[in-house]
Amino acid sequence: MSCNHTADSAGQPVSPSGCSRRNFLVSVAGGLSIGFFLPDGGRMLEAATAPATEAQLNAWVRIGTDGKITLLFGGCEMGQGSMSGLSQILAEELMVDWNQLTIRPADADAKISYTTGGSSAVSRRYLPLRTAAATARELLVAAAMLTTGDTARGNYSAKSGVITRKDPVTGALQSWNYGSLALQAATPQAQALLPAVIPLTPPDQFRLIGKPLARPDIPPKTNGSALYGIDVFLPGMVFAVIKHCPTIGGTLALTPATPSGAIAVVPCFTPADRGAIAKNSFNAVAVVADNTWKAKKIAQGLKVQWALPASTASVDSASLVTLAKQLLETGQPIVAEPASAAPDPATLKTVLGSSAKSLEATFTVPHLAHATMEVLNCSVRPTHTAGVLTGLEIWAPTQSAMSVVATANVVAPSLTPAQITVHTTFLGGGLGRKIEQDYISQAVQIAVAVGRPVKLTWMREEDFGHDQYRPMAVIRVRAGLNATGGITAWWYRNVSPSILQQRGRAGLDSQAIEGSVRLPYTRAMSLTEWVPLPSGIPVGFWRSVGASINAFAVESMIDMLAIAAGRDPFVFRASLVSDPRYLDLLAAADAASSWRKTLPSNRAWGMAVAESFGTLVCEVIEISAPTAGAVVIHRVAAVVDCGTVINPDSVEAQIQGAIIHGLTAALWGEMKFVNGVASQGNFNRYRMMRLNETPTITVKVMTSANPPTGIGEPGVPPSAPALANAYSRLKKTRVTSLPLFPGTSMSGL
Amino acid sequence: MYTLNVNGVTYQANVTDAETPLLWVLRDVLGLTGTKYGCGIEVCGACTVLIDGQVEHSCVFDVSSAVGKKIVTIEGLSATNSHPVQKAWIQCQVPQCGYCQSGMIMATEGARRAGHHGNEILPELKNVCVCGTYERIRRAVKTL
Ligand code: FES
Ligand code: FES
Repeated sequence: MSCNHTADSAGQPVSPSGCSRRNFLVSVAGGLSIGFFLPDGGRMLEAATAPATEAQLNAWVRIGTDGKITLLFGGCEMGQGSMSGLSQILAEELMVDWNQLTIRPADADAKISYTTGGSSAVSRRYLPLRTAAATARELLVAAAMLTTGDTARGNYSAKSGVITRKDPVTGALQSWNYGSLALQAATPQAQALLPAVIPLTPPDQFRLIGKPLARPDIPPKTNGSALYGIDVFLPGMVFAVIKHCPTIGGTLALTPATPSGAIAVVPCFTPADRGAIAKNSFNAVAVVADNTWKAKKIAQGLKVQWALPASTASVDSASLVTLAKQLLETGQPIVAEPASAAPDPATLKTVLGSSAKSLEATFTVPHLAHATMEVLNCSVRPTHTAGVLTGLEIWAPTQSAMSVVATANVVAPSLTPAQITVHTTFLGGGLGRKIEQDYISQAVQIAVAVGRPVKLTWMREEDFGHDQYRPMAVIRVRAGLNATGGITAWWYRNVSPSILQQRGRAGLDSQAIEGSVRLPYTRAMSLTEWVPLPSGIPVGFWRSVGASINAFAVESMIDMLAIAAGRDPFVFRASLVSDPRYLDLLAAADAASSWRKTLPSNRAWGMAVAESFGTLVCEVIEISAPTAGAVVIHRVAAVVDCGTVINPDSVEAQIQGAIIHGLTAALWGEMKFVNGVASQGNFNRYRMMRLNETPTITVKVMTSANPPTGIGEPGVPPSAPALANAYSRLKKTRVTSLPLFPGTSMSGL
Repeated sequence: MYTLNVNGVTYQANVTDAETPLLWVLRDVLGLTGTKYGCGIEVCGACTVLIDGQVEHSCVFDVSSAVGKKIVTIEGLSATNSHPVQKAWIQCQVPQCGYCQSGMIMATEGARRAGHHGNEILPELKNVCVCGTYERIRRAVKTL
């Protein structure tokens, strides 16, 4: 298995031609190419039955006459291992060995590219990809049948890229490499021999799915050859940095003259409405020079006149918390659950009032930055014919290549989409930030203005200061218990800015309520509401989004109820749950954390469980607090149910990483706005966990025959409440506000 | 113009400002992009290189001070991943997004050159990995 994603390779899209049949498309282009439909929206079942049109197909498997087997990959690899996971699935059903396959990133192509998000890259593509690969395999068998005239499928087998026929009478063996059958396999005659139902490999015969195979993207990441967006280096390239109006919502009053040493100063507009930032407003200037450092230095010294917004109250953390608390009482809530016959507040109040015990807590979480290790950047090469712009070639670390085409087309409307080529590079972390288009649009604007290849790099201070942040939230939970520890009533009200409303969608924001609905806990009566918080701070998707917010409030309250009921948190949860998946997970987590029963008195443990993207995760955390204002996290035991496991090694890595991500945010993560300006500009004021602070993390993966579910994000949501529950136990006061230690700094190296 | 010895190769770097950090000379002038930018203020370690065998953070190391010294970047370990640290990293499947790993590997190699082995290397690794690969870095370092 190899991976063409290094500095000297760029994917070439395969141009499809041929006939449409079932839900795939075959074309002859130097061999057998099978295009098929990998659903983007969790529509797996539809995919299996829908007749395909060319426009729906979005992945290609290619078997060249040279025997090369290639998967054109339409997503992005940002560390989550989906490139590798998809290859494993393909190789399994195609009956090739792991080292016989190459995965190649596709250039942006409506037929191949998809947006990477929602932990869906592998889970949504599991069955369609298996079916497509199995179809390719059966076409190769059909090609062999055409060669021999024997159409009895039982006489053929496929293994390691070779089709073999065993003569039923003589036992003689005949074999063909896939490459030698590729042209024949692409013919209508071969297709006519396909079985009505394409047989899939039974799970107990899997050779590759479920195995901890080595990821092909790792070797280039250990010798400097992996090509991230920031590494694109073109002949004659110039280098740009961006300087935004420091006040969110401010605009450029006057474009400054180009200072000496600079190649250009380019005013830049923003491509979409985001809070106080209005679409198409010029909110930044780019400085272009012959190296990034020079551009940065010039930008630092550049005096720019900005027109500041009349009010910055909506871009101020303290004001927003005050407003959110008001809206908790006076805002107009939208019911998130139940879908019908929601209990009215008066009834809830009565039930809470007459319960054996009644609890209430208000939880607050802050805005968070993405802080991807690789800052935002984008490279663009414009081409001209007779002085007229006739093409754009774009290299971007992007989670959404097709959006890049559209963004560039807005900047350069004289071009057709076909004149815009987008190469998706490796991403040095995406975390949801690299779905956005602001940095892409800016790079294209600069390239069009200067007329030569350019790389735009956001300095870290701009990356922190002009993010599209994980929303803050203020959440009030009221819950009652009866004498036997059952929940009599549950009233959950979340006030938070809406990611989707900032993107023009009205009504209930599914992202805001994620993790607060469809809870596994039995409650005699429950109401879950959301109140949108008008806010000028640009908000966006952040690893697990709403689930990272709501799990903190839900699982903290469940812990409080367990304490009030005098029950162990495991026992209490199990008493409220009937779903066997949850019960099995809890039992496994109980067993995996038996150490918690013998902790010394200066240590405490806490646990939380959450479901997101179809995956259940339970985390149990052991801590101590040797000094005031600090906590040591000794260990984390995590148990995961993510359905069928494609690569257990990747599951472990993702859960470990997500736990560190979630704990880092819970301990220190906070982006504070004062008067319209972001306060944290670099890692020294936005602390990240280091190796010496990292707990031991064990990950147990449940065995399951269910289809695979998401793995990139689900480790995040339980980590903050598990930590808060441990800390509350240790300190004997309830944590209701994150981060635990606001305003901490990170020391230099 | 500065004459630099990087990975045993002599380069003429066309920069005028003596204070230009080595990081940007490597990346933007010489095209050696394996060394990464993360913070620019010596907090994250993504830009770690070895200069005369010592761990240095190239985002705050002036190009003029690098003249006459032996600079080793990630590209200088082994293009074929035959270096022991690279092998350990692949064996333990350390990288996720991979962006911090050039710096992690160079910091590890710096610690080895300073005479540390196995777990003794761990306290030297203060670099930031946002993906949280630390558990696997511990596994990899044990073998070195
Ligand atoms: S870029 Fe040099 S330490 Fe972060
Ligand atoms: S592997 Fe992504 S930051 Fe370390």
